[in-house]
Amino acid sequence: MLLPTFEFHEPESIEKALVLKKQFNSGARFLAGGTDLLVYLKKKIVSTDHVISLQRIDGLSEIRENETDLTIGACTTMAAISRHPAVQKKFCALKSGADNMGTHLIRNRATIGGNVCNASPAGDTLPALLVYDAVALIENPDGKREIPLKDFFKGPGRTDLKNDDILTGFRLSFPPDHSGAHYIQLGKRKSAEINVVNAASFLTCDPGTRKIRSVRIALGSVAPTPVRAPKAEAALMGNTAGDEAFNAAAEIARFEDCSPIDDFRGSAAYRRAMVGVLTKRTLAAAFDQARA
Amino acid sequence: MKSYDVISTRANRIDTPDKATGKAVFVDDITLPGMLYGALLQSPHTHAKILSIDTSEAEKLPGVKAVITAKEAGQVKYGVSPARYDETVFAVDKVRYVGDEIAAVAATRLDIALEAVSRIKVEYDLLPAVFTVEDAVKDGAPQLHDEFKGNLCAEVHQEFGNVAEGLENSDIVITTEMKSKRQDGAFIEMQGCIAEYDNRGVLTLTSSTQVPHYVQRTVAMVLGMDVGKVRVKKPYVGAGFGIKAAANPMELACCILAKKTRKPVKMNFTREQVFMYGRARHKFHHTITTGAKKDGTLMALKHECWLDGGAYTSFGIATVYYTGSLLGGPYKLANMSYDGYRVYNNKPACGAQRGHGAVIARACFEQQLDMIAEKIGMDPLELRIKNMMETGDTTCNDLNMSSFGMAECIEAVRNGSGWDKKKGHMPPGKGIGVACGFFVSGAGYPIYRSDTYHGTVIVKLTEDGGTALVYTASAEIGQGSDTAFAMIAAEALGIPLENVRLASGDTDMGVDLGAYSSRQTLMTGHATKEAAENVKRQVLEVMSEQLNVPVDKMDIRNGFIEFDGDTPDFSALRTRYIKEHRGWTDNPDSEKLTFKEASRIAFLERGSIVGTGKYKPHSLGGKFKGAAVGTSPAYGCSAQVAEVTVDMETGQITIDKITDAHDCGKAINMTSVEGQMEGSISMGIGEAMHEEVIFDNQGRVLNDDLAEYKIVTSMDMPRVKTIVVESDEPNGPFGAKEVGEGAIMPTIPAILNAVYDAAGVRVYELPLTPERVFHAIQEYRERNKASA
Amino acid sequence: MKKLIQMTINDQIYEVAVEPNKTLADLIRYDLGLTGTKKGCDTGDCGACTVILNGDPVNSCLVLAVQADNAVIETIEGLSTDDGLHPLQQAFVEKGAIQCGFCTPGMILSAKNLLDKNPAPTEEEIREGISGNLCRCTGYQKIFEAIESTRS
Repeated sequence: MLLPTFEFHEPESIEKALVLKKQFNSGARFLAGGTDLLVYLKKKIVSTDHVISLQRIDGLSEIRENETDLTIGACTTMAAISRHPAVQKKFCALKSGADNMGTHLIRNRATIGGNVCNASPAGDTLPALLVYDAVALIENPDGKREIPLKDFFKGPGRTDLKNDDILTGFRLSFPPDHSGAHYIQLGKRKSAEINVVNAASFLTCDPGTRKIRSVRIALGSVAPTPVRAPKAEAALMGNTAGDEAFNAAAEIARFEDCSPIDDFRGSAAYRRAMVGVLTKRTLAAAFDQARA
Repeated sequence: MKSYDVISTRANRIDTPDKATGKAVFVDDITLPGMLYGALLQSPHTHAKILSIDTSEAEKLPGVKAVITAKEAGQVKYGVSPARYDETVFAVDKVRYVGDEIAAVAATRLDIALEAVSRIKVEYDLLPAVFTVEDAVKDGAPQLHDEFKGNLCAEVHQEFGNVAEGLENSDIVITTEMKSKRQDGAFIEMQGCIAEYDNRGVLTLTSSTQVPHYVQRTVAMVLGMDVGKVRVKKPYVGAGFGIKAAANPMELACCILAKKTRKPVKMNFTREQVFMYGRARHKFHHTITTGAKKDGTLMALKHECWLDGGAYTSFGIATVYYTGSLLGGPYKLANMSYDGYRVYNNKPACGAQRGHGAVIARACFEQQLDMIAEKIGMDPLELRIKNMMETGDTTCNDLNMSSFGMAECIEAVRNGSGWDKKKGHMPPGKGIGVACGFFVSGAGYPIYRSDTYHGTVIVKLTEDGGTALVYTASAEIGQGSDTAFAMIAAEALGIPLENVRLASGDTDMGVDLGAYSSRQTLMTGHATKEAAENVKRQVLEVMSEQLNVPVDKMDIRNGFIEFDGDTPDFSALRTRYIKEHRGWTDNPDSEKLTFKEASRIAFLERGSIVGTGKYKPHSLGGKFKGAAVGTSPAYGCSAQVAEVTVDMETGQITIDKITDAHDCGKAINMTSVEGQMEGSISMGIGEAMHEEVIFDNQGRVLNDDLAEYKIVTSMDMPRVKTIVVESDEPNGPFGAKEVGEGAIMPTIPAILNAVYDAAGVRVYELPLTPERVFHAIQEYRERNKASA
Repeated sequence: MKKLIQMTINDQIYEVAVEPNKTLADLIRYDLGLTGTKKGCDTGDCGACTVILNGDPVNSCLVLAVQADNAVIETIEGLSTDDGLHPLQQAFVEKGAIQCGFCTPGMILSAKNLLDKNPAPTEEEIREGISGNLCRCTGYQKIFEAIESTRS
């Protein structure tokens, strides 16, 4: 399979990348890890006259931490995320999402920015980013802006990014004490899988009373975008953590918080049923961590 | 028991050092001077009349050297079985599936060839299309081939014994269905080829094929050339599994382009094209009724199957027969009937794949054996043992088990898996299941009707006497045949393996039907053994003349001449050898006469010492229509135990362990035998668990890549315990028979039976996706609720 | 427009002018003649084209050659030495971990990278470490055994 012809640009700064993007506008595409874009180009699913590689821009592939937050550069690979100590210690659901994406070879190239910008409803890191309340960091020629990830996705393959925007990274606040999070993906085989359903949950609860102080549930592959499960979350808030509450939330999540469709990977009915199972299981695992 | 020096060991394969270092050459690794690149134009429509083809814009493109359509390629029909030659290189009047070949281009660069293809203008008149067996056989359905009305490609009706009576006399009668999905071979090397046409009019095709011989004949027939003017070679091949066991249209187009341009032309399938071309396992829909006595005795089997065949026949005639003929065994069963139908539709053609025709039927039948065992309260293993065939038995459809270690295989997996401790004692969600199977060691007859030898081999000694050269047209495609034949030659000749060099996969070296139906070890093995023995005899004859010892008082072993009784004085021979060997520093000083000395002397006396060997099976099978399919000089057999865990909430299955015992006759290379068992199991697991080619409602493959067509990864593969059971096959070289396909037979039913043991659900459709298992569990719970 | 790039492959420096739309796999195979790197899908699904790029195994069919400017690359040809096969290559041969051999170069490179970073991997880590390299022939069993036999 051959790639179509295109011009290749490799700016060394965000500013230069923005100038190029403005110049070529919709005729240009950003290249991060390339594990999706190059496939789409080969299969003629997309075409472009200009490819702007982001890989040599300083800082875009870095993970930085301060006392309250972790900032992950958009071009950080899945492998780099997975082996970062702070991710391993504080963001295990994100590590799990990164570890489950594609194969070990893909994870050495695929980036978190690419995963988010592709906006696949099945994206592996997206439920975790949603439950950690990640904020997307965006730059354009007019300046910088931030947007909560839950407002970022607009449809399959569509995001809030405008033509002259660059997604530069994500900021995640460190979870408070007595919190936990967990991610589960469900597919047909155990590697190189495209999820039939995936889900993540995050919760914080009072160590004494087990009252749930905060909770976030995110579901993938069951709506046009990865989604939060607001009704199930609302039902859990203030409740006592435990199987009863989690089972009830799972029922709400599957009937009220998702809108799956049939496709060749799975039926809507099965996906809906699995939203229940995965919601329950991720909540239980998150709770185990929260009280550990 | 005879002792062997070379075979039955774990010798390193002769091809793998080159494969481990990247030196092994596959077809796409070859570049020739002046080579052109070819590309195919394939139909975007499922079913359409071709009104016109305009290639003028393509021809105008700089760099384009040839554009060919049916006008240039001709209309010679070809296929696999002469009874159903239903293909032409390019579509003549109409296209029948998305991917049907229409034209080809050769150009100086691949991008130019592809661009030229996109400039060929084809005017179509779209026709209605059918995609399923059910739709294709309806009255008034669109017809694919005028010659085959009702889209019925082939039908088979057979009865052995009296099935109605057998069922009537049964205490238990079980009828179930089993539906499978189309498979893909998913070999990692895509098909590719290079054709050259020289100034003397000789066409050489180098191709990633399992069957150089059949490709040679097809190329010669389609291009109207003498077989002697067509040479087909295979370099190393990245596996085939049956899909590369026939000439493909790309190979033919490539030959025509090379002949036209007088330049080498290379063509490759993309992975998408591999899926588009298809030719892998059919989609089967079986309905089987099995009757048994209360004591477990099997009485009768009634079998109906519909095969979703696709647009052309390919191997389909053989498939539809194999589906019936390889079912009754390995059990004693006097009454068996079979009604099989292969139906055309507007999808890629299906063909042969590992376990040709027989895999899904066995999945259905072996599940029924467990159902019978449960009804009569018998251990499924005991039920199988009770009905098991033995060495010397013949099935009701005339397949003779000249060796049959089936009972030993069952005992081996019983012990190897810890069956007796586990069966009935697994915790909820965990289960254990067993199944058996058997398969041919090579088809008893060639695909075209002929008295041809199935394999010929030449062994030649080098003039210095050090090395035996083995020339065979057989096809090493990864299974280890080159090593097996080198080992057989070394054993038969009596020399160490490192003194054998082997060249294979070239039609100039002789006739060999190739790598399919698990035939080569037995058939080419026989021919190799005969050729090596012939050479050995010639060397010993010369020694007999020189030393005045009768030939039958001598032998060659481990590279030395052995004498019965006293060793004669061979110093004159040694002196003569050393004189011939001036300048070398490794003159022989052993107490024994070396093979090297003996064979050098033999050369000096007789010129090149060349031995030939040949093999074809004796007359096999019954007299009924289709009796040839399923016959073989020998049958391998196996038993497998699968252990699984079922997630009762999600339907996800984890295969925890497989224990497999296989009777391969004498194992030529123990490591390679295990490798075939493990590989078969992995393909069986893929088919059982997640492999299916999925089409949209326009007949296009939706999952035409290895991301969405899900073969087993390293994460999915359970640990496998392989147990090699060796019997002595009278019809096999050194007692050897098959292992490459028989080992896939029990995998799917063993898993199905284990899933039932774990979850209480019988699943009658493959693959066992989490979703399908989930729904089965839900239905089971509903049913139990209703009946509670 | 072609771009001049420089890369070190198996300790040898290459300077080549490449079209931007050429993949690293195609450059290595067709322009540099290092045909030990195989192509089984061209879409990053099979792992046959695995090379080690700046210390990490990647699908070279999903890397543009121009992206590899100044990179250090190891291909299967870089493993064996004048003394013979690399221990992993030897283990693959001895354990019967190779059948058709088409996945083998990529498989061995993934395994080597795994062992370089983690000399004593568990079975699970071995499975993960080659999870992107599809093998259709062996069922992976003997590949596991070969890797296990060379871990420290």
